[in-house]
Amino acid sequence: MVANAHSLDSPALPPPRSETGAIGWARENLFNSRFNGVLTVLAAIAIILTLWFSIRWAASEADWKVVTRLGSQFVIGQYNTESACPGQNCAWRPQVGLLLGIFLLGMAWGVAGKSIAKPVALTAAIAVSAMAFVPYSLDRMGWDTRLLLLANLPAVFAGLALARYTPLGNVRGIILAGVAAFSLTLVLLGGWVPGLQPVPVLRWGGLLLNVILAVAGIALSLPIGILLALGRRSHLPVVKTLCVVFIEVFRGVPLITLLFMSQVVVPLAFPQDFSQNSLFRAAIVITLFSSAYMAENIRGGLQSLHPGQAEAARALGLHGWQITFLISLPQAIRNVIPAIVGQFIALFKDTSLVYIIGMLDVVEIGRAFIQGNPEYLASAKELFIFLAIVFWIFTYGMSYVSRRVEQNLGVGTR
Amino acid sequence: MTTEGIPQFLTYQGIPLWRHVRVLQWALQIVSGVLVVVLVTWFFFNIGNAINERDIPYGFSFLQRAYQTPIGHSFIPYSPSNTFLYAFLAALTNTIIVSIIGVILATILGTFIGVARLSDNWIVSKLATAFIEFFRNVPLLVQLFFWFYVVLALPPIREGYAIAGRLFINNSGVSTPWPAAPSAPAAAAWIALAAFSVIAGVSLYKRLTRRETMTGKTSYPVLYGAIAAVAIGIVSWFVVAAAFGQAPLVISNPEPHGAFGRLAGGFTAPAGLIALMIGLVMYTAAFMAEIVRAGITAVGKGQTEAAKALGLSPLKALRHVTFPQALRVIIPPMISQYLNLTKNSSLAGAIGYSDVTNIAKTMTQTAPAVSIFVMVMIAYLAISLTYSLIGNLYNRRVRIRGR
Repeated sequence: MVANAHSLDSPALPPPRSETGAIGWARENLFNSRFNGVLTVLAAIAIILTLWFSIRWAASEADWKVVTRLGSQFVIGQYNTESACPGQNCAWRPQVGLLLGIFLLGMAWGVAGKSIAKPVALTAAIAVSAMAFVPYSLDRMGWDTRLLLLANLPAVFAGLALARYTPLGNVRGIILAGVAAFSLTLVLLGGWVPGLQPVPVLRWGGLLLNVILAVAGIALSLPIGILLALGRRSHLPVVKTLCVVFIEVFRGVPLITLLFMSQVVVPLAFPQDFSQNSLFRAAIVITLFSSAYMAENIRGGLQSLHPGQAEAARALGLHGWQITFLISLPQAIRNVIPAIVGQFIALFKDTSLVYIIGMLDVVEIGRAFIQGNPEYLASAKELFIFLAIVFWIFTYGMSYVSRRVEQNLGVGTR
Repeated sequence: MTTEGIPQFLTYQGIPLWRHVRVLQWALQIVSGVLVVVLVTWFFFNIGNAINERDIPYGFSFLQRAYQTPIGHSFIPYSPSNTFLYAFLAALTNTIIVSIIGVILATILGTFIGVARLSDNWIVSKLATAFIEFFRNVPLLVQLFFWFYVVLALPPIREGYAIAGRLFINNSGVSTPWPAAPSAPAAAAWIALAAFSVIAGVSLYKRLTRRETMTGKTSYPVLYGAIAAVAIGIVSWFVVAAAFGQAPLVISNPEPHGAFGRLAGGFTAPAGLIALMIGLVMYTAAFMAEIVRAGITAVGKGQTEAAKALGLSPLKALRHVTFPQALRVIIPPMISQYLNLTKNSSLAGAIGYSDVTNIAKTMTQTAPAVSIFVMVMIAYLAISLTYSLIGNLYNRRVRIRGR
C-alpha cells in the first residue's frame, strides 16, 4: 500500500522508446502493417538505386558542355548577335528589363510587408546577382554585363524604399509601375527610340521571350477571362452566345494548331499592307487561348458563391456593376486561386510552343543547336534535363507562392 | 393642358432612355452583335481579296487529288498515291489511336499514383508527390524532346536489343509480334464473334453479380464471366478456321530483312510514337493523380471508417466503398484531362510523328491553308464532343440518384 501511494507521487513514466522519436515515427509511418513494410523496403531500394545511378551518371558520364556552350543564349537567344544588333552591344537592354523586374519585386515586398513577397524578392535578387560570378564565358558580355547583374541587389532595395517612403507604395502604384516597366522594356528591346539600333522581334529569344509572352499573357488573360465569364453568365442572349462560342472554340482546338494557323491564315484576314509581326500574333493567340480557360475557372468560382451574397448586396442598395465587382468577383477569384495559378503555369509552359512559328524560345534555342551541331547529339539528354529544371524552378515557384498567398488569405479556414 | 392626341412616346416621363436598364442591355447586345458581324465580314472580305489578288488556291476540290507525299507512320495502310482526304484521315486515325491508348494508360498510371499519394506509407506518398510535382510542372515539349532523344540514343537497328528474338528495341523504335490477318473476311468474322463473346461474358458477370447481391449465394461472377467469354472465343476461332479453311489471325514476327537489317513484319512503333506515348502518359498521369486524390479525399472519412468497421480490408474498402463514390467527383475533371491529352498529342510534330496537326501543316504547302484550317478545327472539335458525350453519359450512370 505504502509503495503504491508513493508511486502516485512519482512522475509519470515516459512512453516506451518504441513509440516516440525516430523509431516510433518509422513504426507509425513506414511499418504500420506487413504490406506497408514490404512497400517501404521496395521503395527504399528503388530510390537508392535510382539516386545512385543518376548521381553517378550526372557526375561522371553526363556531358554538360552543351549547357555551358549555349550559356547566355538560353537567356536572351540571339538577341545580342552581330546580325541582330550590328555594331552595338545590346546585352544591356534585356538586363535593364531584368533590373526593372527585380525592382518591382522590391516594391511588392515594400507593399505586402511580412509575407511571401519578402523571401521571393530577396531570393530572386540574390540568385540573379550571383549569376555575375558564373565563370563561363558570356559571349559578347564583359565586365559591364556582370556589373549590371550585380546591380540587381541594390535594385530590390530601391524598390523597397520607393514603396515604403513614397505615395506609390500601394497595389495601384505597383500596377502602374509594372505597366510602365513592361512598356519601357519592350521599347528598349525593340530599340524603338531614336539613337538605338532597332532589333527585329524575330531575334528576341531564349527565356526572355518566354517571360515576355507569359507576362503579357498573364496580365491580359485574367481581365479578358473575367469579361468572358461574366458574359457567359449574362442573361443577354447575343452576348452569352458570343462568349460561349468563343470559349468552346478556343478550348476545343490545340494551342499549337491555333499558333500555326495564326501564321498561315491570319495574315490573309488583314489587308496586305497591315503591319504585323509574329511576336505580336503569338502573344495574342496565347492570350486568347488562355483567357478561354481562365473564363471557365472564374465561372466555376462564381458558381461556388452562395446566391445570398448577391441578394444581400442588392438589399444593401448596391447596383449591378457594384455587386459584380465589389462582392461577387473578389470572393469568386479567392475561391479559385489554385485554378487560376494553374492556368498561369500552363500559360508559361505553353510559351514553349512558339517554336512552331519559328521563334527561338529557350527550348527551341537548345533543340536547334543540337540539330545544327550533331557532335552534341549525344548530350541532348543533358540539355533537356537542364531545361526541365529551369522551367521547374519557375513553375514550382509560382505554385508555391500561390499556396502561401492562399494561406495568408485564409481560404478554406473562414 | 391635355396630352390627348399626342403619341405616347412624346410624353414619356419615366427613366431617361440612356439610363434605362432594358434599353442599355439591348444597346449592348446590338452593338456587340453588330461589331462581331462586321469584324467577321471584314476578315472574310480580306481573305476573299487575298484569294483574288494573290491567286491563292481555295475550296475543297484538292481533297480528291493525290497527296503524293509519304507519311512517316500510319496505323492504316497508306501510299503516296492516295488522295489528300485519305491522307488526312490516316493522320486523324493516328491522333485518335494515340489518344485512346494514351487515355487508357494515363488513367491507370494516374489512379495508381493518386492512390499512392494518399498512402499512409511515408516513402510511397512522398515518391508519388515528387512524381506529380515534377511531371506536371515541366512543359510537355521538353519532356517529349527528352524521351525522343533517349530513344534516339539507343543503338542502331543491327546492334539493337533483341529480346527472345521477337521484341526488337533500337533507335528507330520498338518492334513487336503482331496479329496479321491472312484473309480479311475470316478475321472480320472472328473479331465480330469475339466481340460477341465479350458481351456474353460481361452480361453473365452482371447476372451473377445481381444474383449474389440479391440472394447472398456465392456465385463467382468474375470466374464464370471470364470462362464464358474465353470459351465462346475459342470455339468461334475453330468454327471460323474450319469454315474459311485457315486460321483467322496469325502472329507475324518482326524479322531482320535485307542489307541494313531493317525489320519487316510485326508491328513497329517508330521512335516518335514511343516518345510521344511515354511523354503524354507521364504528363497527363501527373494531373490525373491530383484529380483522383481530390476525389478520394472528397469522400467522407466516415465512409472509410465504416468500411473498416465492417471488416473490409483497405483494398476492398477502396474498391467497393471509396472509389464508387469518388468517381462522381473524379469524372468531370477527368474528361477534360482526356481532352487535354488528345489536344496535347498535337505536339507530335516536334518529334517527327505524323499526327493530324503535323500532316495538316505539311499539307498547307500544296493545298489551301484556310480549308485545311477548317478541317483540323472540325476534327478536333468532333473528338472533343465525342469524349464529352461519352463522359457525360457515364457520369449520368454513376451520379447520386435522388429517391
